[in-house]
Amino acid sequence: MMDGDKESSDLVRLTVHGVLPDSNTDTQIVILRDEEHAEVLPIWVGSAEGNAIRLALEGVVPPRPMSHDLIRSFADHLNIKITSAVITDVKSNTYYATVHLTAHGLERTIDSRPSDAIALALRANCPLYVTQDVLKQRGGSNLDAWLEKLEAKNLGKHEV
Amino acid sequence: MMTQMTVKGLMFDPYNNAYIVILRDEDNSDMLPIWVGKAEASSISFALEGSAAPRPMTHDLMRSLLDTVDAKVLSVVVTDLKDNTYYAKIHLMGEDSEYSVDSRPSDAIALALRTNAPIFAREEVLRKQASEELDQWLENLKPEDFGKYES
Repeated sequence: MMDGDKESSDLVRLTVHGVLPDSNTDTQIVILRDEEHAEVLPIWVGSAEGNAIRLALEGVVPPRPMSHDLIRSFADHLNIKITSAVITDVKSNTYYATVHLTAHGLERTIDSRPSDAIALALRANCPLYVTQDVLKQRGGSNLDAWLEKLEAKNLGKHEV
Repeated sequence: MMTQMTVKGLMFDPYNNAYIVILRDEDNSDMLPIWVGKAEASSISFALEGSAAPRPMTHDLMRSLLDTVDAKVLSVVVTDLKDNTYYAKIHLMGEDSEYSVDSRPSDAIALALRTNAPIFAREEVLRKQASEELDQWLENLKPEDFGKYES
């Protein structure tokens, strides 16, 4: 009971707010927010991964299955339930994540990049979390100011 | 009829800013060039070189998910070619039944290389793609275009 309470209070539920192109590099930025909109967590991802997240956000069904649609399809065929995705760590500006599954009545955890975990969570309609530790470690006030400027300029049509 | 194919290499197509995966049959009589995106090419390249990425790539995650329930990839098949778009299927063995899942060829190939599953192409696909235009285009490519990914 105590452990359960502790664990849930250590995780913060996030929503995917949008995907922005980073005009300086060939990458995209996934903007994650907590439910009270008190915290912002931007995560840089490759352009293919950014597109995979954007397609899911916009509810677009591509004519051929994209990589994460295929993973979802495997899970459906094999009776694997994707239960949550968690951003677990950040080291040298690189984020780490896990995907939680239930298969044959057992809980399993697999390592993932956050981009894959987010793309999959959106397709499986499962919650996305970040640990308190990771939130504490992300950048300070400079980042917020930078994001505000960026959002005003770019977020536009991708905002959901 | 199906023909078993191997991944011969990966090359950059500067005209389309995309990558081409070259599949060949065992006696080198048929060839199938498949255009793929940059992320898919990078994933196939890691598998061809047998090197592990520092963090799991999308197809490593795919493989981990299959491993959690001991599902095996039996084979992947390039099944169709329509309007220059290839279609593929992945054949899986689950707990006690077989499944066929629709896929893009790039995902199918990236997964096959990670699970040592054979890659096949349907005869019709090999016939359809063997158009003169393609042969001509390929003849114009220089050996150095193949670069370091050729295996």
